[in-house]
Amino acid sequence: MTRLLGRFGLVIALAVLCAALSAARPSFLTLGNLVNLIRQISINGILAVGVTFVLLTGGVDLSLGSLVALTGVAAALFAHPGEYPVIAPVVAGVAAGALCGAASGAVITVGRVAPFIVTLGMMTAARGLALVASGGRPVSNLSPEFTALGGGQVLGVPVPVIVLAAVAAAAWVVLARFRMGRHVYAVGGNENAARASGIRVGRVKMFVYTLCGALAGLAGVVLAARITTGQPNAGVGYELDAIAAVVIGGTSLSGGVGGVGGTVLGALLMGVINNGLDLLNVPSYYQQIVKGVIIVGAVWMDRSQHKS
Amino acid sequence: MRRLVTAVLLVLLAGCGRTGQGPKQPVIGVSMMNLSNEFIAMLNKGMEAKARELGVTLIVNDAQRNAEKQVQQVESFVAQKVDAIILNPSEVEASSPAVDRAVAAGIPIVNVNSETRSAPSAFVGSRDEESARIAMEYIVKRLGGRGDIVMMHGFMGQAAQLKRDQGAREVLRKNPGVKMLADQTAEWDRAKAMSLMENWIQSFGPKIQAVFAQNDEMAMGALMALEQAKMKDKVIVVGVDSIADALEAVKAGRLDATVFQDAKGQAGAAVETAVKLIRKQPVDKQVYIPFQLVTRDNVAQYLK
Repeated sequence: MTRLLGRFGLVIALAVLCAALSAARPSFLTLGNLVNLIRQISINGILAVGVTFVLLTGGVDLSLGSLVALTGVAAALFAHPGEYPVIAPVVAGVAAGALCGAASGAVITVGRVAPFIVTLGMMTAARGLALVASGGRPVSNLSPEFTALGGGQVLGVPVPVIVLAAVAAAAWVVLARFRMGRHVYAVGGNENAARASGIRVGRVKMFVYTLCGALAGLAGVVLAARITTGQPNAGVGYELDAIAAVVIGGTSLSGGVGGVGGTVLGALLMGVINNGLDLLNVPSYYQQIVKGVIIVGAVWMDRSQHKS
Repeated sequence: MRRLVTAVLLVLLAGCGRTGQGPKQPVIGVSMMNLSNEFIAMLNKGMEAKARELGVTLIVNDAQRNAEKQVQQVESFVAQKVDAIILNPSEVEASSPAVDRAVAAGIPIVNVNSETRSAPSAFVGSRDEESARIAMEYIVKRLGGRGDIVMMHGFMGQAAQLKRDQGAREVLRKNPGVKMLADQTAEWDRAKAMSLMENWIQSFGPKIQAVFAQNDEMAMGALMALEQAKMKDKVIVVGVDSIADALEAVKAGRLDATVFQDAKGQAGAAVETAVKLIRKQPVDKQVYIPFQLVTRDNVAQYLK
C-alpha cells in the first residue's frame, strides 16, 4: 500500500499529461494511438526492466545501447530467409547479450572494478564488435517470420508489446516472490550487511548483469525485427533513456529501493511525452527542452510525495 | 606489459613501413571522418581504386567522427612530409585547424564531401541543397503541384541537415500549392523515423500525401510505418543517399525515389585533384559532382 502511495505522484503526472494532450489533440486518446504509443515504448521498456535489477543493487549499466546494436546484428546474421528456424536469431541475440552481461558482471565481482567503468568499457567494445560482425554495414534481407517479431500482431496486440508485458510480469514475480529478488534489494540496501547475513553478493551481481545483458539482447532482437535490419550503429544513447525511465519510476540510483511497476510507469511517461510532442508538432529544438524539464519535474513531484 | 605494448607497436610500425617501399610513389595522407558510415566507406574504396590507377600511395586514417583526432592525424601527415593531404572533414568549424596546419606547412590539401570554414587548396563534393531540391521537385511533380507533405530532418544543426532543409524549402516557396503539414527530426535514424511516422499517421491520417526524408535510413523507417498502416499506396516516400536497402526498395516498387550521391565520382576527382596539385598543374578550386534522381525506371544501373 505504501508503495502504491509512493508512486502516486507519478500516476498523477501521467494522468495530467494525458488529459492535457487529449484536450489539445483528440487524436491522442484513440485506441490506435494508444497501441502505437505502447509499441513505441516497448524497446525502452524491456531495457529499463533489465537495468532496474542492476540499479537496485546500486550498480549501473552503460553498455545497453551498444548491446542493442551488437545483439541486433547477431540476430540478423541468423535471420536470412530459408536458413535457420526463427528461434535461431532470437537465441543468438539473447545469448550474445547474456554473454556480454556476464563478462561485465565477472569483471565487476571478481576484479572489483567499478560498474561505471566496466560497463563503459563494454559500451565501446560491444559497439566495435557490432561493427566487426556486420562489416560496418547494415545486415538486411531478413525473413518475414523474423520481422513479424517487431511488426506483427497477435489478436490485435503488437508482438513487441506482448514481449514487454511478459518481461515485466516475469521480472515483477522474481523481485516480489523469489529469494533472488529479496537478495537483490538486500545487496543494494547495504552490501556489507547482506554479506554478513550470508547472501552471496557476487552471485547476485553476476545474476543482475547477466539478466540485464540478456534483456538488452531481447530488445536488440525486437528492434532488428522492427526496423528489418541489424544496424551496427543503432541504439546510441538508449542506456540513458532506460536509466531515466527507471529513475522516474522511483528506483533509487543508490540501490535498494524501487521496482518494476514504477519502471513501466516511467517508460510510459517518457513515451507519452515523445508521442504528445510529435502530435502537437512542437519544433525539434523545443522538444528537447520540454523533455528535459518534464523528466526532472516528474521525479521532483514524485520525491516530494515521498517525503510528505 | 609496457614492453609488450612497445613490441606490438614496433611490429605494426614495421608493417606500415613496408607499404612505403618500392619505387618512389607520391604519398597522399587521407583522413576520413568516419569509416563505419556506409557512404564514407564507399568514398574510401573509390579513392583507393583511383590511387592504384594513378600509381600513388594512400595512407588512410579514420577520425571516427572526432574532429580533434582529425587535426592530430593531419599534424602527423605534415610531420611525415606527405606530398598531399585529402581531408574528409568531420566538422565545419572544429576540423578547420587541420586545413590551417597543412596550408601553413605548404602541403596541398583537398577537402572531399564536406566543407570546413578554412579554405583548402581545392574542394571536391556535391551541393547538399541540390539533393533535397531534386527530391522535392520529384514530389511536387508527382503531386501535380498541389498537396500536403511532411519532412523528416537529420540531426538538427549539422551541415547536411541545414542544407537539405534549405534546398527543400526553396522548392516549396516556388510551389505554394504544396503545403508542409509538419516537419520534425528523426536524427538520421531508422527506428526514430518509424516512430515519428506512426505519430504523424495518428495525427494527420490520410491527409499526408508525401514524405520527404533527408536521408534513406529515415525514408526506410517512414516506409515501414506506412506499410504497416496499409497507407503506402497513397503516400509518396522519397529519401536521399541511395544506400543499398533503399535501392532494393526502389527496385521492388516500395520506395518511390532516392537521390544518388556519387561516392565514386567524388573519390576519383579528389585523388585526381590531389595528384595535379602535387605536379603543380592547374586545378579547379571547386569541383561539384552532380546528384542523380533514382526511380524504378533507372534503378538497375545503380544496383551492383
